[in-house]
Amino acid sequence: MSLQEFWDYLVLGLMLGSLYAVIAIGYTLVYGVLQLINFAHSEVFMVGAYGSLIVLTLVDPGANPSMLASIGFVALAMAGSALFGGVTAYGLEKVAYRPLRRRGAPRLIFLITAIGASFFLYNLAGKLFGRDPSTLPEMYKNENVFTIFGAGVNITQLLQFATAVVMMIALDLLVNRTKLGKGIRAVAQDAEVASLMGVDIDKVISRTFIIGGVLGGVAGFLFANLNQVSYTMGFIPGITAFAAAVVGGIGNIRGAMLGGVLIGIVETMTVPLLGDEWRSVSAMVVLILVLMFRPMGILGERVGRAA
Amino acid sequence: MSAVETSQNLTPSQAAKLRRTAWYRQPRFSRLWAMVALGVLLALVTGEQGNTRDIFYSLETTFTGGGLWVCLALTVGVWVLREFAGDGLKGLAEKAKPGTVAPLAAVRGRFQADKRLRWGLIVLALVLALAIPSMVERYWQTVLVDQIAIFVLLAIGLNVVIGWAGLLDLGFFAFFAVGAYSTAFWTGRLPIEPPVVLNPFWVIPIAVVTCLLTGLLLGAPTLRLRGDYLAIVTLGFHEIIYLVAKNADGVTGGPQGARMIPDFSIDFAGISYKWSIDPLPYWYLLVFFIVIVIILFSRLEHSRVGRAWTAIREDEIAAAANGVDTVRFKLMAFAIGASTSGVAGVVFTSKYGYINPEVFPLLQSILVLAYVIFGGMGSIPGVLIGAAALVWLPEALKDYVDPSDRYMYLGALLVIMMIYRPQGIWPSRRRQRELKLAEQGIGDADAMSEPAGGKF
Amino acid sequence: MLNKTVIKLAIPVAVGALALTGCGGGDSGSGDTVKIAFEGPLSGDNVALGENMQNGVQLAIKQANASGDLGFKLEYVAADDQGLPDKAPTAAQKVIDDPDVKAVVGPAFSGPTNSASPLYAEAGLVTVTPSATNPTLTDEANGFTSLLRAVPNDNMQGKAMGDFFSKKIGAKKVYLIDDKTDYGVGLSKVAEATLKAAGVSVVKKSVPQKTPDYSATAKDVVNSKADGLIYAGYYQDLAPFAKKLSDAGFKGAAISGDGSNDAKFVELAGSASENWYLTCPCTDATVEAGTKKFAEDYQKEFNRAPGTYSAEAYDVANMIIAEIKKAGKDVEREALRDALAKASYKGLTKTFSFEKNGEFKGTDVFVYQVKSGKIAYQGNVNELIG
Repeated sequence: MSLQEFWDYLVLGLMLGSLYAVIAIGYTLVYGVLQLINFAHSEVFMVGAYGSLIVLTLVDPGANPSMLASIGFVALAMAGSALFGGVTAYGLEKVAYRPLRRRGAPRLIFLITAIGASFFLYNLAGKLFGRDPSTLPEMYKNENVFTIFGAGVNITQLLQFATAVVMMIALDLLVNRTKLGKGIRAVAQDAEVASLMGVDIDKVISRTFIIGGVLGGVAGFLFANLNQVSYTMGFIPGITAFAAAVVGGIGNIRGAMLGGVLIGIVETMTVPLLGDEWRSVSAMVVLILVLMFRPMGILGERVGRAA
Repeated sequence: MSAVETSQNLTPSQAAKLRRTAWYRQPRFSRLWAMVALGVLLALVTGEQGNTRDIFYSLETTFTGGGLWVCLALTVGVWVLREFAGDGLKGLAEKAKPGTVAPLAAVRGRFQADKRLRWGLIVLALVLALAIPSMVERYWQTVLVDQIAIFVLLAIGLNVVIGWAGLLDLGFFAFFAVGAYSTAFWTGRLPIEPPVVLNPFWVIPIAVVTCLLTGLLLGAPTLRLRGDYLAIVTLGFHEIIYLVAKNADGVTGGPQGARMIPDFSIDFAGISYKWSIDPLPYWYLLVFFIVIVIILFSRLEHSRVGRAWTAIREDEIAAAANGVDTVRFKLMAFAIGASTSGVAGVVFTSKYGYINPEVFPLLQSILVLAYVIFGGMGSIPGVLIGAAALVWLPEALKDYVDPSDRYMYLGALLVIMMIYRPQGIWPSRRRQRELKLAEQGIGDADAMSEPAGGKF
Repeated sequence: MLNKTVIKLAIPVAVGALALTGCGGGDSGSGDTVKIAFEGPLSGDNVALGENMQNGVQLAIKQANASGDLGFKLEYVAADDQGLPDKAPTAAQKVIDDPDVKAVVGPAFSGPTNSASPLYAEAGLVTVTPSATNPTLTDEANGFTSLLRAVPNDNMQGKAMGDFFSKKIGAKKVYLIDDKTDYGVGLSKVAEATLKAAGVSVVKKSVPQKTPDYSATAKDVVNSKADGLIYAGYYQDLAPFAKKLSDAGFKGAAISGDGSNDAKFVELAGSASENWYLTCPCTDATVEAGTKKFAEDYQKEFNRAPGTYSAEAYDVANMIIAEIKKAGKDVEREALRDALAKASYKGLTKTFSFEKNGEFKGTDVFVYQVKSGKIAYQGNVNELIG
């Protein structure tokens, strides 16, 4: 691999990794407050993608929209995906998790519920929207905007990376600077004590789900824009992003970002070195290796300070 | 965050106003909304199949069609009955309870208490298991062998890992794949040549050893991880096994798989028999394996090993403090489960004569786990019932619903089941007590430290 | 939210009812109907392909019933194997147990064909597959005596692709990708051998289905400086890949097989699909009058355009119907099998006749090219390279 190729793949990996990071945050946030693996998060992601598809089908960008219109369409699609993702995550918490939480069910039960909900959601999406893949209408002409270390970056990639970074910064601020963030951190540290201190746990948890759902939904849109929309699209990115969250240290938001970027780069670098078919294998090997040497992930599990 | 809002100084009247709930915020009405939402969901679930050319097609037909109103009438009707005639219904339900719910519980109670009855029932079940299949159509025989028996065997193995030792294993089916590919290898059906070509029957001990070793290899470095981490590592392990089977074309045959794997045959100590395409002999063989495994495992459950597992499951730290070699016993559970899975893989492969990597997707691991939990983990009869019921259900649904919707119903069933009966269909007594303790916030119900959401 | 007691009451009742209906549905005596089954993926990941074929079969049956000159009624039976070898024997057994089923269209995929064919062979029930293309299926050592293949196998198409690139396009270096499915791997193996024999250098890679990001692969293609690209796989995955290729600036000639020869490919990939060559063992689906009518009827019946293998499944079903009509409704399974094996039938997509081992007779492969958003017919490969 020449140096130029190295930079090319590094940039591509970073772009993909930023997407994984956003999905991974959804897993990590929920883990932070509930200490449970929300296996259905991959379906939130999928529903978000369908949200953007629905919005774009309704407004129909047509051929060659102007630059301003393009920005508008992207914003609308993003809003649609955020809405769908948020509502799904909220509904999931309310219907599937809250009754279990009320009675303090063991986490294994949550896991099976999540798996059940995941089966239900993706098959329902397949039923409602058809089981063939669809593609998002073209919102802009995908051209290279600039080059970095000789590697071209096109609009799709820029959009992906910029959105991910903005969302991560916003989330970091939200968790560290706002009252809701304080609540999330309090519940993550010790739910019982937090409730004694007057934190409305139900509200905090359900808002945490909504935040995770919005992030997951927008990630779904970005993924649909990169690839396509289908009812089974959540599974592979979901598993990968979950692995990324664990690699970084689950429950730890910055860990999820780091893990996502790391896994994205490892996967992309695998393509020229070993071949595309080994990318998931290399991600899983990284996961197992990291856990063998750092059983709590790279940055450690800082559930207490979910930041 | 109510903490901040109530900290302001309020006049008593303001406070009273805050305390009063408006009529529309009564829990009764939020329940109504829930039922309306449920009705809409029901209409969508039973609505028409959509297509990608017009993504609104299914939504449109549902919201303009009559099905929506039927579903809404149904769910709102339930709400009305419950809210306004609730007491009467409750009485009825109480009266009906001994007639419907109680028998199973009573049978279970008697079963667990009375030794003679227990043996009687076991013998009866065994006789039925041997007699009934010869009377049903060959389709159901095939379902019994290919799906139910294989998965029952798997579920019994997983039960050791998760139900008894409390280790969350999401990659259990990978060992099935190891068993299956061992069979293909030792019968000379892979691109690489085995040292000797064996009959599948003699592959069984080899597969058991291979799976034991694989289990140890995976378990040794990872079993010190806590519950959730173990789950993701085992999941990763499954994914690796699946992808290696798929990608290493020169070793495993890749996506085109291995074909013409011979059937079982036995020619040993004067007994000579060849299994063939007929499912019944395979059924007897599988029942034989299941019975052996059950006998072995239930001996194990009440031995020192079984007690060590219970101790680890209920409180790992306390167990370690009391001198239980937790790593050794965890490894043991892992390896025992893995080898059961391997045996199932061998039988499966030889029955089918053909495997490719698509037989071993991650979904299978998740499904086996669901079967165990659904039946009632830790209890052998529960696991038997759970696996049999959930494997049978999609087959039975085939004729009544669009086949592609079956897993949607299965998913919904899992969620409802976990909400209303988390202990499973036929839970073990100990497990039931653990769940109750967990509900009260004392003790654990699995080796995964605390219940979700902390203890509140 | 639901009343707990209601659930508690309802579940045993529902389970009981299911149990009764599930086990009670025994074999009802055969009346005036003959059943034709289709075995393929009707649930799971590949359901889109299964539905395409199922619709084709259903349309054929419906039209035959409507024509009114049968003298008996045809009925459709679905057998869902999810496209998975482990589900196929159960699905097959269900069809075999129904004495009214005289013939099966399918199994759709090679894996399920491998695991289900011994059962069909034992029962003497003929299966005519419109889409299982793995060359080893017709190996006589398998003993799949009742399998007929109504499609040229991977060897023909892979060779056609290789020939087309080496002789017509004159490529020097070809980047060859399979999608890690049975179909893709089979196709790419033959294409690789053909290209190498013609002295073309080949870079062979595998890109599994549902890869999340095709950008890296696209970059690899461009970096390899290959002037030709072969993608052996299905349109669902080719579409996003084609987009990334055009983003990465790949300028060479590109070709894919019948798994991608679907209007859906153009729809999904948009302008990125432009100039892609697509091979298919089928004749042009839009020119001939018969095919046009088929496309219209299909659209009317199922509210969508026919997809990959729809027309092939329709043809196979019609071929079976024609043979049943000749033999009468009381035809034995074995007799129908033997009749079909010897039959020759001119369908919409090609003329069907079989070798002794059930292999499709004929090697014609045709080339199409996407031009201004339409899949345009180019001609027979043998003539193009000749």
